[in-house]
Amino acid sequence: MGSTRDEIDDKATGDDELIYTYNRELFYHFDKENGYTQKVDYQNPCNQVIIKQSWDAAEERLEEVKQMVILGKSSPIAYYMEKILMEVPMLAAYMEIPKWRVRRHLKSKVFKKLKPEVLAKYASIFEIPADQLTNQDYLK
Amino acid sequence: MVKLEFEHKQAGHCESGVTRNLLNYHNFKISEPMAFGIGAGLFFSYLPFLKMQHAPTTSFRVWPGQVFDRATRELGVKTAIHSFRNPKDSMDKLNAVLEQGYPVGLQVGTFHLPFFPPEYRMHYNMHNMIVYGHNNGTYFISDTLMENLVEITYEDLMRVRFAKGAFAPRGRMYYPTLVPENIDIKPAIIKGIRKTANNMVGIPFPIVGVKGIRYLAGRMRRWEKKLGPVKASYYLGQVLRMEEEVGTAGAGFRYIYGAFLEEASTVLNQPWLKELSIEMGENANKWREFSYLGSRNCKKRGKPDQSYDFLADILLEIADREEKIFRKLFTIKK
Repeated sequence: MGSTRDEIDDKATGDDELIYTYNRELFYHFDKENGYTQKVDYQNPCNQVIIKQSWDAAEERLEEVKQMVILGKSSPIAYYMEKILMEVPMLAAYMEIPKWRVRRHLKSKVFKKLKPEVLAKYASIFEIPADQLTNQDYLK
Repeated sequence: MVKLEFEHKQAGHCESGVTRNLLNYHNFKISEPMAFGIGAGLFFSYLPFLKMQHAPTTSFRVWPGQVFDRATRELGVKTAIHSFRNPKDSMDKLNAVLEQGYPVGLQVGTFHLPFFPPEYRMHYNMHNMIVYGHNNGTYFISDTLMENLVEITYEDLMRVRFAKGAFAPRGRMYYPTLVPENIDIKPAIIKGIRKTANNMVGIPFPIVGVKGIRYLAGRMRRWEKKLGPVKASYYLGQVLRMEEEVGTAGAGFRYIYGAFLEEASTVLNQPWLKELSIEMGENANKWREFSYLGSRNCKKRGKPDQSYDFLADILLEIADREEKIFRKLFTIKK
């Protein structure tokens, strides 16, 4: 697997370093001499790259939404929803309201008219104080 | 206060690990691959219309809960399975069952699990773990992903048991109540193999089983043109995450399944299964090669041997291999 050239590249750029070393997991391996073996280890470096990719993408999405909120095109709910990695169906399930209502609340125009009870419920799901939701200073 | 004598063992996959650990507790010794194989856990499906984290879902496993259900049913183990509407009821029931002396398997969402590795803390509702005791609002947990035993508070446990969204666990709890003394696992193994073979080659539907792998290969060739390089690489990353990330023991369960075939050949005394287990192992190594080259593609190295066309060709080769293996497994007899 993989040419030696790639491996040299990796060493030069430090790509072989493990990013996530919180917990070791059990993995199975197979080769013809030893048959099936089990080993407890960290995720290997190339899988860690893939895991990191998804977190980077999430961060990028969050940054995009943040700009939209600052421009006034989306409501802060869109931002905090992205921040806790949720999407509309899941947020609607937590809010116990239909999806179309959550979609409406993502518009800043509708957001401004929301009742305090609804805002408080959103805030409790996002785990932030209720006034943070309406205060744009937290975004900057 | 209850704390059962529970032996914690790590496992490659959460559900088969939980099944094994629960059965081991009731003095029925079974290995993880065996539990996985009898439960017919191996599968493949590619669902382009069902988006998870902004990319199509690829699944290498059957529906959550099926491994435990099938394995215990085929082995003749009596079980109890509950799900709840009211979170408080679910915790009361859990306490009552623990006090009777049964460790309990739980389906939970991972986002709010405090002990979970931070890199895996996404909204994933199909994780399984075992509770083996509680004391003053602290619950003792054996999670097959973790190296050590862990603890969780009453509030957190209630919260993860009632995570919402796709595949919401709704407080699902399950445990074996009666394990018979002399279990003949041979018919269970044969049934499990047949079920898996049928899942992989017997369903006339283009997005599941071996056909699903080919379908994914076809889709993959068009990604870069259709979605642009950034999104295409994210889609590819999603396939690889499902294949290699948490709880597959590597190569989308193919290693576990190979180990199962090896064990089955000894138990059933059918040497041809041993040959198939070697083929399965090589097939799994091919999957791993796919993920290795794929991850380099994600790093934007842009070499010709990491292009989408090249990766799709590997998938087609894998599909051919798996089709051969499962067609043979389909013919298994006593």
